Amino acid sequence: MSGIFWHILVFGVIGIFLIVIIYRTLAITRLPVHLRWELAPIPHEKGKGRYGGSYLEEYEWWNKPQHRSRMAPIIYMAKEIFLLRGVWEHNRALWPLSFAFHMGIYLIVVMLLLSVMNAVFIIAQVALNVLNVSLGIASVFALVGYLLGSVGAVGLIIKRALDANLRPFNTITKYFNLVFLGAVFVSGAYAWFSSPDFASEMSFFIKGLIALDAGVALTFSLSLHVIISLLFVLYLPWTDMIHFIAKYFTYHEIRWNDAPQDEKMKKELRGLLAQPVSWSAAHVEANGVKNWADVTSKKTSDEKEA
Amino acid sequence: MTKRKLKLTDISKGEDTQLIDINIDEMMPLPPPYDKVEELRGFKQLTDDQRERLVCNLDGVVSYAALPKPKNKEEEKKYVEQFVSGLKKLLSKENNWTFLQPLLLSIDYCAQCQTCCDACPIYLASDRNDLYRPTYRSEIFRRLVNKYIKPGGKLRAKVTGGDIELNWTTISRLYELSYRCNLCRRCAQSCPMGVDNALISRELRKLFSQELGWAPKELHEKGTVLQLAVGSATGMRPNVAIDNLKFLDEEFSEATGIDVSTPWDKEGADILLIHSAGDIISFPESPIAFTILCNAAGLNWTLSSEIPGYDGINYGVFYDDVQLAKVATRHAQIARKLKVKKIVMGECGHQHKATMTVADRVLTGDLNIPRENVMTFLENIVFSGKIKFDPSKNDFPVTLHDPCNLVRNLGVVEPQRRILRYLCPQFREMTPYGIDNYCCGGGGGLSVMSDVNFTDWKVFVAGRMKFKQILDAFSDQPGPEVKKYLCAPCLNCKLQFRDILEYYRAGENSGIICGGLAELIVNAMVDIKKPYITWEEH
Repeated sequence: MSGIFWHILVFGVIGIFLIVIIYRTLAITRLPVHLRWELAPIPHEKGKGRYGGSYLEEYEWWNKPQHRSRMAPIIYMAKEIFLLRGVWEHNRALWPLSFAFHMGIYLIVVMLLLSVMNAVFIIAQVALNVLNVSLGIASVFALVGYLLGSVGAVGLIIKRALDANLRPFNTITKYFNLVFLGAVFVSGAYAWFSSPDFASEMSFFIKGLIALDAGVALTFSLSLHVIISLLFVLYLPWTDMIHFIAKYFTYHEIRWNDAPQDEKMKKELRGLLAQPVSWSAAHVEANGVKNWADVTSKKTSDEKEA
Repeated sequence: MTKRKLKLTDISKGEDTQLIDINIDEMMPLPPPYDKVEELRGFKQLTDDQRERLVCNLDGVVSYAALPKPKNKEEEKKYVEQFVSGLKKLLSKENNWTFLQPLLLSIDYCAQCQTCCDACPIYLASDRNDLYRPTYRSEIFRRLVNKYIKPGGKLRAKVTGGDIELNWTTISRLYELSYRCNLCRRCAQSCPMGVDNALISRELRKLFSQELGWAPKELHEKGTVLQLAVGSATGMRPNVAIDNLKFLDEEFSEATGIDVSTPWDKEGADILLIHSAGDIISFPESPIAFTILCNAAGLNWTLSSEIPGYDGINYGVFYDDVQLAKVATRHAQIARKLKVKKIVMGECGHQHKATMTVADRVLTGDLNIPRENVMTFLENIVFSGKIKFDPSKNDFPVTLHDPCNLVRNLGVVEPQRRILRYLCPQFREMTPYGIDNYCCGGGGGLSVMSDVNFTDWKVFVAGRMKFKQILDAFSDQPGPEVKKYLCAPCLNCKLQFRDILEYYRAGENSGIICGGLAELIVNAMVDIKKPYITWEEH
C-alpha cells in the first residue's frame, strides 16, 4: 500500500475522530445546569482545599471575596491523570497494571507528537544533530510506551479474567477494548523491533502525509501497526474510553462546581423551571402542562392515603 | 451473612426468594467487649405473616419501605412498564434537568475498576458482601438503561453479555437495594473517573418515588408530606412546637439558673434559626443550648412558627426532587416574610446540604436568601468575646463525628474543630476524620427508618464501621468509669447513634454518650453554674 491510500486513511480517520469527539463533548456541555452536587476536596478553595474545606466555612461568606487557586486544580488533575492517584490511594492492587497501561498511552501520544515535530524538522531541513536527538527521544518513548502498554493491556486482561472482584462486571466489550488497545501496543512493539530505525521511519511517513507526497510507503510491520492504530482511533470516540474527556466534566462541572447563582445561570434556571413536568406519581401533581415552578410551589397531597 | 458470589443477573431471578441471608458471625469484628456475638440480641427474623404480605426478596430486611406483594401478574407487569417509563423521564431534560448531567456521566463512564468498593463502610462491614457493593446496584441500573432506553440496546445486551431481565423481581429488589446505601458519597470521592454511585442510588429512589409513588413511609408520608401539611415530620403543629419550647425554656431556666427565652416570629430579626424539630423532642438540650448562646451573644434572632418553618429537615434530598424543592421553597418564603438577613440551620447535616447547596439553584430571585452553616455560626459566637468560657469544665474525652452532608458534601471541616480544640482539653479525632470520615450508618434517610427489622440492619451492618471508629477513638480509656462524649452535630446521626449505643449498651459498657456541639459549648460557659451535660443516655 502506498501513495494516496495512506492520506485518505489517516486524514479520514483523524477527521472522523475529531468530529465524533467534538460532537460528544458538545453534547455534554449542552446538558442543562444541574443542582449543586459538589464533593470535597475542592482544590480551587485557596488555603482550604488541602483539608477539604470550602468558602462556606467563612462567616457570612456572601460578603467575602472568594479566593480561588488556579494552580491547585491543575496540580490535582495532573497527579490524577499522570500518576493515577485515585487508583494508587484506593485500589493499590490494580495500580501497577493500570499505571503501565496508561503510561504506555501517554508515551505513545508524546512519541507521535515528537514524530510530527520531526517531520516538520525534516521538511524545514533543521540541523541534523537536532533532528537526531529528537528522533532518539521519540524512539525511546516509543519502545518504553509500547512495552509498558503491552504489559498493562495483557496484565489487565488476565486480571479481569481471574480477579473475583472484577470478573462479575466484565462484558465482552470490556475485553474487546483491552484486546484492541493491546493489539495497538503489541503491533507497535513488533514494528519497533522489526525496523532498523523506527522513529525515522515514522517521522518520514508523517512527513510524507504532511507534504502530500504520493510516494508514501511503509514496511509491512509498520503498516500493520498504523492500520490497527487507525482502526482503534476510529473506534475510540464511540466508546466509554473517552473518559479522558468525561473526566473534565465529572470533576470541574460536578465535584468542583460550587458556584453560587450568577446572572447567566439565573436566566438558564428561569427557563428550566418553566419546563413542563410529567412525572406520574400523584404527589408530584404534574400533568405535562404544569411546570417545575408550579409543582414545587403548590401544597402537597399524599397519594398513598388517597 | 451467607457469603455467596452474586452475579448481576441474579437480581432478576428467584422471584420471592431472598437473595442473601444475614449472619452476624461473618461480619467485620468489633473490639472487646463487643466481639462476643453470642451475647448480642440476634437479628430479628420476619414472621410468616410478614413474609406472606410483604416483599422481602432481597436480604430479609424489612422497613416501612417494604412493598405489599402485587395481587397478580398484570399488576407486576404494570409496575415494570411504569419503571421503564420512569427510566425515560430520568434521562429527559424536561423531567430531570436537576441531575441529568451528573447522572449521564455516571452511567456512561464507569470503568468497572471496583476502586470505590473499599471506600464503602457498608460493604466493608458486611465482610465484602457482593450485594452491598456500591457498584452492584449501579451496574444493574446502567445495564437496564443501556438495554431499555438506548437505541439497539436489547440486541447489544445480548451480543455483549450484559443482559439483565427486567421483571417484577428486578424492580422490587432494586427498590429495596436503593435503601441499602447511606448516600455518603465516599465511593464517589474515591472514584478516579468521578462516577457517583450514591447519586445513582438517589436517582433510583427518585424514579420510584416520582413515577411509581414508592418511598419509605418515614421519608414520604410521615416525612415530607406531613412536614408540608402540619409543619413537621414529627407531627408537631405550630402551637405544639411553641408550647414545647416554652416548657423547655422554663425547665432549663430552672436547671441552669439563667433566663432561657426563645423568641418566635420576630419580624425584622437578623437571623432565622431553623432547627430540626426532632431535636425539640429527642434532644431538647440542643435547641435550648442555641437559645442560651444566641441570647448570651446578644444576637437579634428568631424561630418561625409558620408551617414548616420550625422544622428544617428536608428528606426530599434523599429521594425526591419535587419534595426537596417544595420544602426548600417554603423555608425561603418564610424567611422572606420575616424579612431576616440570613437563615441559619440547626445541627442537622442533610438540612444543610439541602438548603445551602442542593436547593441553591431552585431558590431563585428574592428566595435566594443568604444561608449560613451552623458550625461557622457557632464559631463566630464562641470567638466573639461576648461569652466567657472555662474549658476545664469540659475536661473529659471528646471525639467528633463528621456528618457526611456537612463535611464531605459542603466542605465545612475546621470551624467545629477550632471550637473543640479550644473548649475540650481531651478532644481527639477519629480515624479517618474530616472529609474522609465514615458515615454514621443512618445517612441517606436511613436513620429515621426503623420498622420491622431495619434498625437491626442499621446497627449490625450500616453503623458497624462507625461504631468501631468510636471505640477506637476512646481505646485509651475503654471502661465505663470514664465518661466520654461523642459529639455528633447532626440530628439524624444522633438518632442513629442512639440506636447503636442502646443496642450495644455502650453507655453501660464504655461510658459513651452522644450529643451535639452547642451543648458542649454551653457546658463550658462560666455563667452556667451547674453542668449542662448530665451524662444521661437518650
